Amino acid sequence: MRRLTVCAALLSAALCGVLNAEEKMSMSDADKAMYAELLENNPAEMDVAEGEQLFGDLIGAEGYAKMLGVNEKDLAAYLAGFPRYVEPAKKVVTLSQTIQMAAATAKKPVPKLESKEMVKMTAYVKSLANGEKTSIDVKANKHMEQMLKLGQQVFEERRGGRGLSCNSCHSADIVGQRLRMQPLPDLGAKETAAAGTWPAYRMTQSQMVTLDKRFQQCMNNALLAKIPLGSREMVALEVFITNKTKGNEIQIPGLKR
Amino acid sequence: MERRSFLKGFGVAAACAVALPHVASAADEKKVVGPNEMNYETAVAAITGGKAVTPSAKVKMEAPEIAENGAVVPVKVTVTSPMTQKEYVKAIHVLASKNGNVRCANIYLTPANGEAFFGTRIKLGGTQDVVAIAEMSDGTFLSTKQNVKVTIGGCG
Amino acid sequence: MKTLIKIKPKTYAAGDIVKVDFMAMHPMETGMRKNKDTGALIPAHYIDEVKFMFNDQLITKMVIWESLSVNPLMSINFKVPSAGTLKVIAKDNKGQSVETTTAINPKG
Repeated sequence: MRRLTVCAALLSAALCGVLNAEEKMSMSDADKAMYAELLENNPAEMDVAEGEQLFGDLIGAEGYAKMLGVNEKDLAAYLAGFPRYVEPAKKVVTLSQTIQMAAATAKKPVPKLESKEMVKMTAYVKSLANGEKTSIDVKANKHMEQMLKLGQQVFEERRGGRGLSCNSCHSADIVGQRLRMQPLPDLGAKETAAAGTWPAYRMTQSQMVTLDKRFQQCMNNALLAKIPLGSREMVALEVFITNKTKGNEIQIPGLKR
Repeated sequence: MERRSFLKGFGVAAACAVALPHVASAADEKKVVGPNEMNYETAVAAITGGKAVTPSAKVKMEAPEIAENGAVVPVKVTVTSPMTQKEYVKAIHVLASKNGNVRCANIYLTPANGEAFFGTRIKLGGTQDVVAIAEMSDGTFLSTKQNVKVTIGGCG
Repeated sequence: MKTLIKIKPKTYAAGDIVKVDFMAMHPMETGMRKNKDTGALIPAHYIDEVKFMFNDQLITKMVIWESLSVNPLMSINFKVPSAGTLKVIAKDNKGQSVETTTAINPKG
């Protein structure tokens, strides 16, 4: 009996040791503040400036607003509500897809969703709504309602050889647990600001990445087949995640680990 | 009157500034082909020419204790100095003690800087000390260092 | 090479010390990375010299190496003497060079 108690004591001591070690392996508040300060000099600002040029050559804000059927002065507020149902496309689309529509309208070559130019232009167009609050309306019409439902399904569907879903690592009950020393973020939290801060510069990759591209990178690491950019399922996933942080301020470009 | 003497002062500072960087030290040498490998001892000797380096509270470094990503590690160095013609910081050297090439940056300052400060982001191949060496106008070398733990964080 | 200069704070007077942030889009290749397809080493390609000039007088010269992060940031302080032009000249080890200028307009 006594031996058992000793064992238990040793075990708990060992566990405490592990926990303490883990504690020291995550960034302190001072470290986090240093990284937050990096936002002041986000290399992606140069990409956004290039995006402005590319977008200007393609269509420009005036032609773009006209194509979307909104007043140019209401454009920022309108852009804050993406992904949304747009009449000319007759479906729910992302900002990147509206740029493709704009290119088609202007009878110019349509940029691929995967292209660097598209990432830069998407970031620029979304930056027009900087300071606005994300205002996705999942109850706006039956299209949005369907997409939200589909998005949740995509989020929770277990796939791949390991039977993982987005939810496996991002469900609310395991937020804060560590995956390779990195605390798992709460995708619905204000500070995560998922909807308002993508496209973002990813420091691990030294490049700017769109939200849907980030989803693909996540799928890749979880050994899931990548859902194609622009597919109904991918747009639905963006609707679902964006809706989680509705009301967050848009600050483009973001800066992520 | 004040303005004139001020401008004069700046002229002197500027002349001094032009003169300084001509003294290219061995620490600046670069290979044309292949990686610029250099270990810590060689790099420090090239900077100081064998003079002593004294750890000093005058040199302050800000770097994270833990970097989740070795590719982008913010580093800021500040050196206490009046930055006048008589007394200023000639150079700030930043070294990553265990990188293949430990040299990151040699910053040649002048009194025109007003304050001896250098901020940047560096790559670290692994957990190691980041060292800052300040070369003062009186020919002394002061230093500070900070250990940065590099972890491989998260997914993707 | 795309570049960006920022002066902080945005408004300042003559005699103030401002922070000058210089950023450049550059791969900063170390020469130690391999091409994933061919296995061949990617040649080192990095910015190796940056000069900060005010009205064509040198303020700070930087000699830098591949250890700086991709798309590097370099910040210095600068005591604003008067109105003028701040010029940053960045050169990489392949001899490519770019000049970026910004106006210094002290108020008050």
